[in-house]
Amino acid sequence: MPNETSDDLTRRDIIKLGASAAIAVGVSGWDASLFAQSNTPLFFTKEEFALVDELTDLIIPTDDHSPGAKAALVASYIDFRLSESFEDQPRTLWREGLKLIEQISREMHGKAFLESSTEQRIALLTRISANEPHPSAPEELFFKELKSRTARAYYTSKIGIHSEMEYKGNVSLKEFVGFDAA
Amino acid sequence: MNLIRLIREAQPEVDLKKTYDAIVVGSGAAGGMAAHVLTSHGMKVLMLEAGKKLDIDKELKSTEWPYDHKRRGEMPPDSHALSLNEYNIRQPPYAADSKAKHVYSYVQGWGGSDYSKNIVVDEKDHPYTGTNYAWVRARLLGGKTNIWGRLALRLSDLDFKAKSHDGYGEDWPISYKDIAPYYDKVDLYLGISGVKENLPHLPDSIFQRPIKLAAAEYKLRQSLKKMNRVLTPYRAGVTTDGLKHNKYRSRCFGRGACNRRAGGCDIHAAFDSPTGLILPAMDTGNLTLRTNAIAREVTVDKKTGKASGVAFIDAETGKTYEVKAKVVVVAASTLESARLLLLSKSNAHPNGIGNSSNHVGHNFCEHVMGPHINALVKDQAGKPRTLDDGKPGSFYLARFRNLTERHPNFIRGYGFEGSSGNSIYPGNASSTPGFGASYKKNVRDYAGAFISMGGFGEVLARYENFVDLDPSVKDVWGIPSLRFHYKFGDNEKKMVEDMADTAREMFSEAGFEILDVSRRMLTEGWSIHELGTSRMGTDPKTSVLNQFQQSHDVKNLFVVDGSSHVSASCQNPTWTIMALAWRSCDHLADELKKGNL
Repeated sequence: MPNETSDDLTRRDIIKLGASAAIAVGVSGWDASLFAQSNTPLFFTKEEFALVDELTDLIIPTDDHSPGAKAALVASYIDFRLSESFEDQPRTLWREGLKLIEQISREMHGKAFLESSTEQRIALLTRISANEPHPSAPEELFFKELKSRTARAYYTSKIGIHSEMEYKGNVSLKEFVGFDAA
Repeated sequence: MNLIRLIREAQPEVDLKKTYDAIVVGSGAAGGMAAHVLTSHGMKVLMLEAGKKLDIDKELKSTEWPYDHKRRGEMPPDSHALSLNEYNIRQPPYAADSKAKHVYSYVQGWGGSDYSKNIVVDEKDHPYTGTNYAWVRARLLGGKTNIWGRLALRLSDLDFKAKSHDGYGEDWPISYKDIAPYYDKVDLYLGISGVKENLPHLPDSIFQRPIKLAAAEYKLRQSLKKMNRVLTPYRAGVTTDGLKHNKYRSRCFGRGACNRRAGGCDIHAAFDSPTGLILPAMDTGNLTLRTNAIAREVTVDKKTGKASGVAFIDAETGKTYEVKAKVVVVAASTLESARLLLLSKSNAHPNGIGNSSNHVGHNFCEHVMGPHINALVKDQAGKPRTLDDGKPGSFYLARFRNLTERHPNFIRGYGFEGSSGNSIYPGNASSTPGFGASYKKNVRDYAGAFISMGGFGEVLARYENFVDLDPSVKDVWGIPSLRFHYKFGDNEKKMVEDMADTAREMFSEAGFEILDVSRRMLTEGWSIHELGTSRMGTDPKTSVLNQFQQSHDVKNLFVVDGSSHVSASCQNPTWTIMALAWRSCDHLADELKKGNL
């Protein structure tokens, strides 16, 4: 059954994605199953998915160089991988982690994360990432997991590889680039 | 090209009634070379490969974009690749209590595991026991040459005559001058790229066009010159100019897919045994290939005590077959060859064939790994993107310890492999702190501005480091498993300390901003360079093979892989394995003609 909220979300993403992908390498060859995956979350609830979508985009936002995590459908990929995870541990980590985000948001700002302002959202992420090199509190460990999966999904996406990183490889060259050793 | 179709078309039927001139057990670097050389002498050869024929191009898909793969290159969730931690905190067999459906060795790189999972063995089917060891096995036509690292180095008399140099261990029964013509033959037949450096301890090959260095690598090379140390472009077993005599291989086009898989090259510019050696050998009409044929035993003629052939198990049906030959050439890899010799017990050879010395399985050695350095090269930040992984390797830093001076803490030496520049996945995405627009920009600006390298050091050959057969554990075909009795020693520990110190010293000297230096030793086996379980020598009491890799005990038995190496050197072994196998097989063919086998 189609769901209005996630349909809207998907349509928004398609528009953004279409624009950016066209700039990068043209839209042909895009894996349509990724769109299908974002229609209805496989593991997350609709509310969780919206939260993850926003969190990933705060970590890797759109800037004047390239589109960000939302456009690259990072949340959909994380959702898919969690849904098929062989172990329960990562699913528990995410479910509990997202609850913590909401709890901290209420503590800090008296409202749900998605109802808070951009500044408030950034303040929350700043707090849970303050101890990034040596995370110990549950929310700090969750930030590590969130960022790690976000980066992985983003930099393996079409937007990440072509628009953001402008990767030059996977083409035949006549000559290797670099400096002569002689 | 469809490799499997080519192989099927070229493949004659296996005739089990016939006596072949030679049976070659194994199809990797050593077995492939044996098949090439023996068939070129007109001998009728049967090659037995324990693994399957895999359409390697369809497995590796090395030009597939990560986003075109459902899991961005990762394996399905019920498959598991062992981690470094698992190798250390548990005991083999590592897959014994795993809930995963399939368990594989660590070898697969970031997100490339789905492409190599069918190439390495499923640990569930292939248990081993004893001390911790990360044993990577590839059971398929071509073996590990399908995914090898391609660093193709020569050994020198500093290695062959190491005992004469520092008093430890044994000298090899050959000198550099004995093997040099065969290194040349391997260079010309298979192709190698590199730059001549005129180093006595790292002899030059006959090189094709070199791989160029990235900017930071060039900077390090220049800086090292002041320290009298040499960084050279990766000496890659890759044809960069092409090979007119081989229609199965293309020259390298620097596409930039090389560093994002466990290895492998689907245009076969990088050497692999099937296209480099086996297909051309089939074209002679003298080679018969039987895959899914797990050698169970080298059979023995009761009257003469000589090898009479090989008994093998069909991997799919479990049926056992016996096939006869005038000569048996074992090339199943250092550890599998030792296992096969130990399994081949008879009245004539109660400890296993060729093992009257009790040295089979012993003097097992390899390369120790672990120390690793990573640094930022500030002047490379924010530079326009370059294609730096569009080459089959980056750089090699040659051994500089114990050449003329003597280090107070350890003997022998080590080299480094390293790289710099842009790759498809920005490695700094996980190490860059923070989030948001500044994080994104930092990852982007600095992605190509890192340089790193890691050491490979010689592990001393010791009699007390060995493998034997486990008395109770068997693989899924009922064949006794190998049991490891193998530990790094004091010399390796001290060498590893020095590796970390010199890595820091060299990077500081070059003006790089050092981010981290790992001093931790990796689990035994990590280098995938296991050597020396049937060493060559002049004394049949303390060695298994003579200088032609021929058994001292059984004159029609040869072991032509890394088993025969007397010491590990610190240089990667593949090119030496092939040069030695070529030399020995020339000798074998000659002796067979003379009626001496």
